[in-house]
Amino acid sequence: MHKIVFLFLILAATLTAKSAEQNPFDRNCVPCHTSVGVSLRKTFMNALLVYSGKENMKAGLAYFLRYPRKDISVMGEKYFATHALKEPTTLDRRELEEALEIFWERYKVIGHLR
Amino acid sequence: MLRSERRSLLRFLTLYALMAVAVVTLVSYLYYRSSERIMLLEKKAMMADYAATQIRRLERLHERFPRERTYPRDPRFRSAIYDVEYRQIFSTMRNNAVDFLRDIYRKYGVIHFVKLLDRYYLGAKYLFIEIPDDRRWVASTVRKIALGAGGSLLLLGILGWYLARLFVRPMRDSIELLDRFIKDTTHDLNTPLSTILANVEMIDPARLAPEDRKRFERIEGGARSVSTLYEDLKFATLESERPLQIEPFAMEELVQERLEFFEPLIRARGLRIHRDLEHAPIRADRQAMARVVDNLLSNAVKYNRPGGTVTVRVGPGILEVADTGRGMDPETLETLFERYRRGDDAEGGFGLGLDIVQRILRRHRFTIEVHSRKGEGSRFTIRWKES
Ligand code: HEC
Repeated sequence: MHKIVFLFLILAATLTAKSAEQNPFDRNCVPCHTSVGVSLRKTFMNALLVYSGKENMKAGLAYFLRYPRKDISVMGEKYFATHALKEPTTLDRRELEEALEIFWERYKVIGHLR
Repeated sequence: MLRSERRSLLRFLTLYALMAVAVVTLVSYLYYRSSERIMLLEKKAMMADYAATQIRRLERLHERFPRERTYPRDPRFRSAIYDVEYRQIFSTMRNNAVDFLRDIYRKYGVIHFVKLLDRYYLGAKYLFIEIPDDRRWVASTVRKIALGAGGSLLLLGILGWYLARLFVRPMRDSIELLDRFIKDTTHDLNTPLSTILANVEMIDPARLAPEDRKRFERIEGGARSVSTLYEDLKFATLESERPLQIEPFAMEELVQERLEFFEPLIRARGLRIHRDLEHAPIRADRQAMARVVDNLLSNAVKYNRPGGTVTVRVGPGILEVADTGRGMDPETLETLFERYRRGDDAEGGFGLGLDIVQRILRRHRFTIEVHSRKGEGSRFTIRWKES
């Protein structure tokens, strides 16, 4: 009986791990941002201030995440006075595209105003 | 007024009216557009203030989003925000048919003012401010336009009337001169003509020598044709205003009588008469109808070819006089009934006849038709309602 429960738990864990793995945003972006303490909401709002529209933002961020540079960052000079620039992303193009799509859908303003 | 005169006057007036209306319309339109511009300029300053206020509120909302999600509203205006890709982010506007290319415009009863943001709060690049178009300016503008357009059309109308009068004066003057001249001469013709005719009647051609008889016939024919002319002139100038004296009579009798009167003239010209007279009752002014018959006969004689035929047919409700002359082309037919025009310049004359015929028939409400073919001759048909 214990064995069965144990096996079941393992299965459930691998399944959830698998599903997390299938989503590059939750797998890649969220953990790092949580650990460095840079709110994704905050980065989204900053990015929105500069990029405005969905396609524009996705294209702009895809470039930034691959080739980060202070002068094209949306974080502002004040931020970099105390923080370092991030490393280039390890995701491939397709994964990055998927992650950015989720990023937009999760934080977008359109449809969330009253 | 003559037909040709009326036609050119009409053409002038139409052209003038079209031009006047076009100019007034154009000016009105330009005035309308400029008052619209002025009104929008007045609104623009106010709406730019609204936009600045709204942008400050958007900034605050941007910072607090998503804790706070309520889009800022203001009782003075409605607004909407659009992103760089022209997607609507949020709108409280009544009319969302927006134009991204103009900074202020009127559309479907509202005025839109567009402000471009340089920091895209909430992703907004375009902020639209909407206020209702109270249309008060339209009413006052339309009133001004109506007044201005009405006034200038009136002025242009007066000017047009004056110009038109200048335009026809030369024609009118010459016609009046001719009328007066004819009136004066007609009067003086009466006595000598009566004398000639009375004396011609008294001579018996049978007692003349054969070569004199021929000459006498020509004299008699000539005197009769002068007499018709005299009657025409008298009718055209002195009697045209006389009220009609309608009475019943037999048309064929009148025609027979007039034919006899013309006989010497017809014979002198070497023409043949073909007559076909049936009983044709009519109610008309006998004297006036005599002028009609005379004129048709005299034309048929005058414009016939030597040795030709004059055909006269009378039947119930119809009188027809045909000749075998040169005929007329369609262009000539058009102005046939005009005063002072002649069928043929070679023949001379005043060109009064058909004008008189036309006037008389018009007053009787009888109709006249002309069939003519170049080289074959002409046929005049008069119809009346049998009573
Ligand atoms: C290795 C850690 C790490 C990962 C993985 C990571 N980020 Fe970041 N990210 C950061 C840090 C640190 C910053 C702030 C410094 C900077 O902008 O360079 C940042 C900045 C950003 C910004 C601001 C961009 C700008 O112009 O400054 C955005 C948006 C963002 N991340 C989104 C993402 C998304 C989406 C992913 C997933 C594809 C992701 N990040 C993955 C660490 C990470």
